[in-house]
Amino acid sequence: MEMLLNNPTFAFLQLMNSISLGMNLFIIAAGLSLIFGVLRVINFAHGAFYMFGAYIVYTVTKLWGGPFWLGVVAAGLGLAVMAIVIERTLLKFLYDKEHLMQLLFTFALVLILGDLAKILWGTDQYSVSYPAALSGATNLGISFFPSYLLFLSAIGPVIMILLWLAIDRTRWGRIVRAATQDREMLSALGVNVTVVYTSVFAAGAFLAGIGGALAAPRVAVVPGMDATIIVECFIIVIVGGLGSLWGTFWGALFLGFVTQFGTVLVPNWQDVLAYLLLMVVLLIRPWGLFGRPEGEH
Amino acid sequence: MSDHISRGTLLACAVVLGILMLVPLSGSRYLIDLSTEIIIYMLFALSLNVIIGFSGNVSFGHAAYFSIGGYTCVILLTTYHWPVVLALPAAVIMAGLVAAFVGYFCVKLNDIYFAMLTLAFSMFVWGVAFKWRSVTGGDDGFVGVQIPAWLDSRTAFFYFALVIITVSIAVLWVICHSAFGRTLIAVRENRVRAGFVGVNTRRMRWTAFVVAGTFAGIAGALFGMYNRGMYTESAFWTESAQVLIMTLLGGMYSFFGPAIGAAVLYLLDVFTNQFTEYWPTVLGVILLAILLFLPEGIVGLAQKIRRRTSARA
Amino acid sequence: MKRIWQATVVAGSFALFASSPTLAQGVVKIGALYPIAGTGAVYGVPAMHGHDMAVEEINAAGGILGRKIVTVARDTKLKPAPSSAAAKELITKENVDVLVGGLSSAVGLAISEVSRLEKVVYVATIPKTIKLTTTKLHPYVFRTASNTDLEGDAMAQLVKQLGVKKLCDIQLDYAYGHDLAAGIEKGLKRHAPNVPKVIDLRSKLGATDYNAVITQILGAGCDGVTSGLWGSHFISFAQQAKPFGLFDRVKYITGGEIGSHEIAGRMKLDYPDNVWSNTYELWYNHHDPSHVAFQKALAKRSGSKETAMWPVLAYIGVKMIAAAAEKAGSLDPDKLAKALEGMTISTPVGSRTIDAKTHQANTGQFWGPMVKKPGVDYRMMDPVKYYPAEIK
Repeated sequence: MEMLLNNPTFAFLQLMNSISLGMNLFIIAAGLSLIFGVLRVINFAHGAFYMFGAYIVYTVTKLWGGPFWLGVVAAGLGLAVMAIVIERTLLKFLYDKEHLMQLLFTFALVLILGDLAKILWGTDQYSVSYPAALSGATNLGISFFPSYLLFLSAIGPVIMILLWLAIDRTRWGRIVRAATQDREMLSALGVNVTVVYTSVFAAGAFLAGIGGALAAPRVAVVPGMDATIIVECFIIVIVGGLGSLWGTFWGALFLGFVTQFGTVLVPNWQDVLAYLLLMVVLLIRPWGLFGRPEGEH
Repeated sequence: MSDHISRGTLLACAVVLGILMLVPLSGSRYLIDLSTEIIIYMLFALSLNVIIGFSGNVSFGHAAYFSIGGYTCVILLTTYHWPVVLALPAAVIMAGLVAAFVGYFCVKLNDIYFAMLTLAFSMFVWGVAFKWRSVTGGDDGFVGVQIPAWLDSRTAFFYFALVIITVSIAVLWVICHSAFGRTLIAVRENRVRAGFVGVNTRRMRWTAFVVAGTFAGIAGALFGMYNRGMYTESAFWTESAQVLIMTLLGGMYSFFGPAIGAAVLYLLDVFTNQFTEYWPTVLGVILLAILLFLPEGIVGLAQKIRRRTSARA
Repeated sequence: MKRIWQATVVAGSFALFASSPTLAQGVVKIGALYPIAGTGAVYGVPAMHGHDMAVEEINAAGGILGRKIVTVARDTKLKPAPSSAAAKELITKENVDVLVGGLSSAVGLAISEVSRLEKVVYVATIPKTIKLTTTKLHPYVFRTASNTDLEGDAMAQLVKQLGVKKLCDIQLDYAYGHDLAAGIEKGLKRHAPNVPKVIDLRSKLGATDYNAVITQILGAGCDGVTSGLWGSHFISFAQQAKPFGLFDRVKYITGGEIGSHEIAGRMKLDYPDNVWSNTYELWYNHHDPSHVAFQKALAKRSGSKETAMWPVLAYIGVKMIAAAAEKAGSLDPDKLAKALEGMTISTPVGSRTIDAKTHQANTGQFWGPMVKKPGVDYRMMDPVKYYPAEIK
């Protein structure tokens, strides 16, 4: 604690850490929020999508020797394709069933995808190198800061803006927004709701894949990496508000700050702090900071 | 569901009980261990169904109460040297009290947020168990539980657990088939209409939550004693998911369904792990099968078959 | 009627699982518990190689007491709960004669507890927590690995030697991390009482994000770091710390066998500067013919001359058990335990004796700085110094 007050460099570093970590989390959680907003499905498998993104970038860079950026793109596209396949072959049968069923379906996916990753890549832990251009540190005046983390801090808002533009300015976006309000009316108006659902699920998975690929140089690519990230995603979307893009953005930053500063202020208890905050939000304002209260009660 | 137990069901229960009582005679340490674990999970799954099958909510954090019951019991027994006669009930009461507290807030929320809050709370319990090393042993687990001499043998503990679990299930059965239970089903079927008829749906669901948590606490306490230790995994959301699948597999619309689901899933787990390490895939496929083809579980399937065969006859 | 039928079917399947495989008449069954998947696999898989090598050697020479050794292996997943269940299953269902292995300290403690309750001998080949041979000691547990007191002591000696002025300590938040921190504290009192430890940092076992920790070390202005981040934890930590220039600012003294070839070979040119670490054995540090022979056999098995370090530990565990069984003339747990007390065998890394009172073998370790060497892309320890298993 004293370190934060006495040492401005340290405080600055923690600040930058929080932002970069938060932005990485945002990219992943944005997909979860999007899927919930339209399909009303809490995608437990989102962590598995993230994990596959990391494995794909590992494959492209370490096994095939390709450039990092290609790996990131491949991760996004690969997950989009996977999502389309899953949605068309299995998920679509559950749309008319209760939400519980859909929730459990995504949990079944977690189990199966987890093993699939083990079959495809084995159980060893892998590391992905930073892209050469970003592997050093940048002088920010107050202190040096890893360039890759700076990049993450910047890419987050970029993706936020792109997503916002997509949802606010494109036709697809308008339909997606309408779908969050009233699905039946939408199909009554002749919109192919099926395509909407599939595209949203794919877009959400795309984001998770990219998020996983971008996270890969910083974390260990190993079975089980999906279990921790999914809880963090839940905290973000609940605190921010399920279905709200801005909510996810601020929720992700919030979690980034809580974990980074929590490590300093309440060492060893920062995880518990995050869950406690999640509970408090659910108790006081379950629809989060930017969400809307559900009609049914 | 009638409120008198049918003769056939009673007979089946007697047979199962009879077989269980004979298990220790086999002399196989492994079989006794396996049976102890299965009957504990049966109670755990049955307790969860009070929330799901009877009051119609989904809990993704039921493992929290199992874990609290377990940790409280082993800590009281070992760190504070309480006798079992006091430690076990204290653990159960603790689980019940926590369930009362959490449940109070949960029932105010609608279905999705109800589920998320149960999940959040379960992860909070996990976090506390993890970090409070001085009390719970943290990541290393709470190991070296003191068991009184009269429970120290496998067989003795098995019978002890069997007695407690049988009585617990009987009590649960009475609760679920009483007027309270039938009203709960009405709440599950149509909460709004039940409200119109004058039922305090929130209070009913809260009571159901407390009942469920309490009996999960019993299962947890027994588990802690049997296992001679408690580990943080017991509160992680994957444990809640597993007991949820047990309940659904057996059939959430019948009373004994979850018990059958627990036994089947546990045995499948053990069986599958002998041949392949990919038990999660098997579990996932089972879950998918339940969701797509068998929403009423094994019991539902059995009933469907019986109805079809009796219709043919 | 249908229900009774259902009930009987369920009961019948019970019987299926109760039937254990062939009651081990003519074989010796050793239960091996190592993490063979996930984060621990980087150590667990090589360990199993060493285990299998020892088993093959012994079987080729006639086995134990004329009976062949059969290994039944289980994955500990680095967690105490599945390890405890696996150990129990090995004993009650597979009827193993003895348990060996464990990797993480929490796992070691969990297996030791099962061994105590079921009265089956357990030889801990890797877990280092001092508790195994002190507060949690019982007649059936033995350790051939080093322990956290010895490790901490060596690290404290290095702190003094390297002239560290301000120390930061980073540990994993579980039994090993806590015990190592305690071991380092004790060592510092003995060897470097005037060096202040400015900050104590803890990371979760299995953690992958070390940013906050790195910035705190930098913020505290330490010039030396003692660490218990082992295996993949170190790899992730180093990868994240490098861009911050951490290793140019501190002398990084770490336990957890970061000096082993497993880590050096995996990280290659990414291995950072200024790291002093330990290892049980170095393929390039031959000191007697038995080591050379061991190395040759291991190199043949793994396909490369740069062999891993963990095999030798598992190897020693099996050899210890075999020697004790021969001395006792039986695999009865009580007799085996008695024979293990005071047992001495010669190993590829020197003679090892198990202390009759503490059940701890006199296993020392090699410590030294990890430096770049011309012609190869992995770092090697140079100079190498052996720290025997004694605290002065």
